[in-house]
Amino acid sequence: MSKAALRQERFETIEAYLLGTMGNAERIAFEQELASDEDLRAEVDAQRENTLAVELGAFTRTLGSVVEVEGRKEEDGWMRGSSWAPYLKYAAAVALIMSAALWIIGRPSANERLFAEHYVADPGLPVPMSATDDHVFQDAMVAYKLGDYAEARAKWAGLAQERPESDTLRFYIACAALGEGDATAAVPLLKGVGDDGRSVFARKARWFLFLAYVEQDAVTEALAVPLDDDATYGERVRAIKAELR
Amino acid sequence: MVVLSPIPGSSVLDALRRNDPSIVRSLYARHFPIIRQFVRKNNGTLRDAQDVFQEAMTILWLNVKEDRVKPDAQGDVGGYLYRVAKNKWLDTVRSAAHKHMRVVVDEEHAPVVLEGPDETEGRLQRLRSIYAALDERCRAVLDRFYYERQDMATIAASLGVEEESVRTMKYRCMMKLRAQRRIIDGVDETDRSA
Repeated sequence: MSKAALRQERFETIEAYLLGTMGNAERIAFEQELASDEDLRAEVDAQRENTLAVELGAFTRTLGSVVEVEGRKEEDGWMRGSSWAPYLKYAAAVALIMSAALWIIGRPSANERLFAEHYVADPGLPVPMSATDDHVFQDAMVAYKLGDYAEARAKWAGLAQERPESDTLRFYIACAALGEGDATAAVPLLKGVGDDGRSVFARKARWFLFLAYVEQDAVTEALAVPLDDDATYGERVRAIKAELR
Repeated sequence: MVVLSPIPGSSVLDALRRNDPSIVRSLYARHFPIIRQFVRKNNGTLRDAQDVFQEAMTILWLNVKEDRVKPDAQGDVGGYLYRVAKNKWLDTVRSAAHKHMRVVVDEEHAPVVLEGPDETEGRLQRLRSIYAALDERCRAVLDRFYYERQDMATIAASLGVEEESVRTMKYRCMMKLRAQRRIIDGVDETDRSA
């Protein structure tokens, strides 16, 4: 296997060969190349093994979950046949009462409910296939899109130390913080971007700032966010403000 | 009582090769009871039986993937699965922690030495070490593409990202495996000319 990096196009050609999705003519040409190129043969073998490693990992998880589910069914079947099974209904009733009590104690406040109803994480920016100029930013964006907000936030925060003026970084760090449930950290960043009339993120930042205030139960601050006439957010903002009042 | 109809051996092998999830449930329903019976007869618990069943299934799966398993005379893989599971459990009960136990081995199913079990174990260990390089997000993408055989559009929709992002993620994650494999093989990582 060559020590050089494997380019994406080459990787995908090998992948198509291994998965059998390559066209006939292309496959014949590839096999001819394979016959005369030792490095390519080693690369194909390596990729075959890596693919098998992925399949094994996924198979192990599938198998584990089947065994767990079927095992639980067997245990349930054994419990139904046991002598103390009639008492299970009393245990279930106690559990139900305790669950109801816990729900009443821990149920969300009206503002938390409003936030949960309206908050949808920003979808993020597209990650271009050949993004080679800013790997850290793109890796963080991939993490963000997959819901790994802590990782995205940490990577962007590192970049923000070098580029503190970047509204893109400040906006997405705030989005990741909100995704993590950390409205306190998100608020100052969103406020800064929302107040920056030149930023393309200004309106979105005001919307998320408004929601962050709602989540924090900061009613006065939420009512003061100027978004009532916004074409995209105005209707929802007016409705939420009516509930807050 | 549920009577299970036989599964033709070649269908089982094909289903395992295709990563058909229903075959795992079918093999569990069909072959786990006899493995559980053997393990329980030899001082094992339900959990022990489940563990050896999983180990046996994994060995079966790898050997099917690498074309080292043929269905038996009855056209089934049950005999293979049972022999592997039984050998695994006998190894366990003979180990130091279980020396005090009495082993009940039925002569009809005397332990069979399987061809190259250590080799398969070593192979599994190597593949697991490679896979260990992946974080959860890479696993989410690669499992769907290579194991579940989902297309890019389906993966993109389920993860809520664009198709191009999935393509990039897949490439980068596979490059992580490539790097991990080189580390395992002790290949010098310093020469990385593009």
